[in-house]
Amino acid sequence: MKRLALVIVPCALLLAVLMAVSAQSQDDNSGGGGEKKVVFSVGDPQGIDSMNPLIGVTVAAYEAWNIQYATLTDKAASDFHTIPGLAESWKGSKDGLTWTYKLRPGLKWSDGKPLTAEDIAWNVNTSRDEEWINHSATTVNLDATAKDDTTVVIKTKVPDPKLPTMDVYILPKHIFGKMSADARGKYAATDGVGSGPFVLDKFEKGQFARFKANKYYWGGKPAVDEVVLRKFNNPDTMVAALKTGEIDAAEDVPGAAFDQLAKDDSIQTVEGNQGAMSEIAINGGDGLKKPHPALLDPKVRQAIAHAIDKKTLVARVLNGHGTPTETLSTSPDPKWTPDIPADQVYDFDLDKARQILEDAGYKDTDGDGVREMPGGGKPLNFTYMVRSDGETGAKIAEFETGWLKEIGIATTKKVADDTQLTEIIGKGDYDMFSWGWTPFVDPDPMLSYFTCDQIASDPKDPTNYYNDANYCDPQYDKLYQQQKVELDPKKREQIVHEMLTRLQQSAVYNVIYTYPDTQAYIKNRFEGFVRQPAKIGPVVYSNTSPSYARLKPVTASASSDDGGSSGGIIAAIVAVVLVAAGAVFFMRRRRTADERE
Amino acid sequence: MSARFVGAKVAGSLVTLIFVICFNFFLFRVVEGDPVANLYRGRNLSEQQRDKLTKQFGLDKSTGAQFVSYLKETATFNFGRTYTGNAPVWEEIKRKAGPTIALVGISAILSGVFGVLLGIAAAWRRRTRTDYSVTAFSVGTYSMPDFWLGMVLLTLFAVVLGWFPVGGLQDAASDATGLSKLADEAHHMFLPCLTLTVAYLGEYAIIMRSSLLDTMREDYLVLARAKGLRDVMVRNRHAVPNAILPVVALLAINFGFVLSGAIAVEAIFSWPGLGLATYEALKGPDLPMLQGLFLVFSASVIFFNLIADLLYGYLDPRVRPA
Repeated sequence: MKRLALVIVPCALLLAVLMAVSAQSQDDNSGGGGEKKVVFSVGDPQGIDSMNPLIGVTVAAYEAWNIQYATLTDKAASDFHTIPGLAESWKGSKDGLTWTYKLRPGLKWSDGKPLTAEDIAWNVNTSRDEEWINHSATTVNLDATAKDDTTVVIKTKVPDPKLPTMDVYILPKHIFGKMSADARGKYAATDGVGSGPFVLDKFEKGQFARFKANKYYWGGKPAVDEVVLRKFNNPDTMVAALKTGEIDAAEDVPGAAFDQLAKDDSIQTVEGNQGAMSEIAINGGDGLKKPHPALLDPKVRQAIAHAIDKKTLVARVLNGHGTPTETLSTSPDPKWTPDIPADQVYDFDLDKARQILEDAGYKDTDGDGVREMPGGGKPLNFTYMVRSDGETGAKIAEFETGWLKEIGIATTKKVADDTQLTEIIGKGDYDMFSWGWTPFVDPDPMLSYFTCDQIASDPKDPTNYYNDANYCDPQYDKLYQQQKVELDPKKREQIVHEMLTRLQQSAVYNVIYTYPDTQAYIKNRFEGFVRQPAKIGPVVYSNTSPSYARLKPVTASASSDDGGSSGGIIAAIVAVVLVAAGAVFFMRRRRTADERE
Repeated sequence: MSARFVGAKVAGSLVTLIFVICFNFFLFRVVEGDPVANLYRGRNLSEQQRDKLTKQFGLDKSTGAQFVSYLKETATFNFGRTYTGNAPVWEEIKRKAGPTIALVGISAILSGVFGVLLGIAAAWRRRTRTDYSVTAFSVGTYSMPDFWLGMVLLTLFAVVLGWFPVGGLQDAASDATGLSKLADEAHHMFLPCLTLTVAYLGEYAIIMRSSLLDTMREDYLVLARAKGLRDVMVRNRHAVPNAILPVVALLAINFGFVLSGAIAVEAIFSWPGLGLATYEALKGPDLPMLQGLFLVFSASVIFFNLIADLLYGYLDPRVRPA
């Protein structure tokens, strides 16, 4: 057993040395002039899948591009209205089909190369031709020409109410343009050349991405030297890192931890609303397979809508972090959501629900507690798909099936993960399910998902469509086409409101609530956090992430490594404790060994 | 060992590997699902873009055609590109293998060494306080879920005491190189490594203890004592070498699983290893990544089983055919 001590003591010493060196290296994290770098670190549970905007799809990847790639026009933090970005001004033709943008003078990429109108034109035209995944929805009908270094003319084939907003990431042509289309689609894009406030400095995929301030940023060099986006595979660990100060802010904090952090004086919690919502959807019957015949009757759907207690769901499923909502949320900008007149709201009222069913002839004739089709016959037993991914699906199902039972509707619950559920919805092989969406800023994409041609029509390819209501309303489609080309913002808003009210009235797609991004940051380290949109939005991971460029350290000493300097002392303590423990153990063994021998 | 014995074992391993390669392909296709729809849900994709992605992923071909091209590619060590992030599978695996081998490998060695030492101590001093406490400790840690132990250690040493970072492999803000980079990584690795070591040490201790107890009943130990050998010599020269065989086998088999990582512990400490990569690839499902990972995992298990077989034959002549 002497040998055990021989193992423990060197181990302890080695550990102590490692910790001391490690602490030393952390203290060395200073800039050139001996001053400490100001580092702002954010944790998130998802991570960046790719730095290349032609490939990546995760939320963290958008955060990275938001700070690395400037856009032709920017969006206001307050309400998303179009403000100057790389372009300082723009002018539209009378018919709204031609827009001329004037770039800021002397724009430069972070590597010092000039950023010109040619960069813009190349991005617009190439992304349209090659159907870049994050660009082409915006550029599909556009054609851009560089008139001179600072003037770019963009023409659209069809009237486009989104213009003059041009919010696609502008990639450096002198890097992306040198490759073949195929090579571009495989490029890792860790070159770190951009025009945003920060550009990539170090990328350890699956761990973190570090960005350094871009001195050529058109808004001026930011006050923060470095931004770190760090991935946490376990949200509880992320919360721990926030508490110890290893990170300065955290995105997507789990519900229970969020309530705890809210009580912590040194931490500011933020409920950032971006329009994410959950709904209880009913099979509208226009897809590949018909639902239970009762669901084709609007009366039954209305009765179900009256049997959804949104307030209870917010309180019990979201721990109160959410807002009961009446209709589709199509944008983080609340102006697109209509106020449903009070008499058209499906309020939670089980008696009313029972009355509607009773009046429409759905009576419980055999006394088993479940209503039958009018005139007796098939009982009202619906297949309710429970989503197994995420934490809310099962809870919502538990409550909802209970309320349905109270109004005399039976349910058969089936569990499916997201992959299976996508397919089941496409095939129309369900009666009800609960899931959700997160909208883009412009309402068009979300509105388009509920048009008739988005209903799955090919049984071999049921997942290639978006309309998960399986509901077709030709009038909705007509309005959709109208808003798509309506250039008067006020009129377009009205059309959108009319569409959303129609959808709400059909009671096929019963939106339960919108829920916020739960975020938290350490209070006294940085100031200048901006919510987007104002008052209700998130401070990081928002649509254009305006916070980073405006953050300032509260004091000169603000930095994300307080724990580091005490590392040496701690190492010494650990070493002493381990050596002492080893010695005691060793002595004891000696003594007992003597007794034994 | 005869060449025939070695040859038969190697051939058996190769057959298993070929079976695994075929099995891998179909295993992940049992669950129906459309990776394109799943990975890009909520994205505003046009039908053309979806078709393009389906083609890029090779999902437009029939399963048979996909299988043939999979076999061809695998034979030339081309594992394709991942669906998420469109990166070469082999590069991804290589990048993530390092942290996993370091973490799980070191803790496998440490848990083996300390587990054996504890097991010896317990058996040699059976029915004493040492025995009872070692046995209680071993059974306790063996039955403890490793992710729970990890959370406890993390809360204690990282959050309350602040001695260690809560996770990751390196300090993101640091540009350290050489020794200080190594020290930084060791500092980050300490807690996950401690978790795994403690979690797996019990298994070795229990097996070593019972094996040594069996050996202690053998006549040759009485003889050794009768010769007048010191207690320590009896233990180290005669008892332990005969008792250690099952532990060696266990160690070799466990080494096969080193590569597949420790999903739960890697997740808690955000350790960028292969265990986590598997978990994430399953979400898509990212078929090429899963195929690559499982091939590497199976190959490693098969290889170490082969080593265990051969080692067994070497250590214990009775296993060898005459």
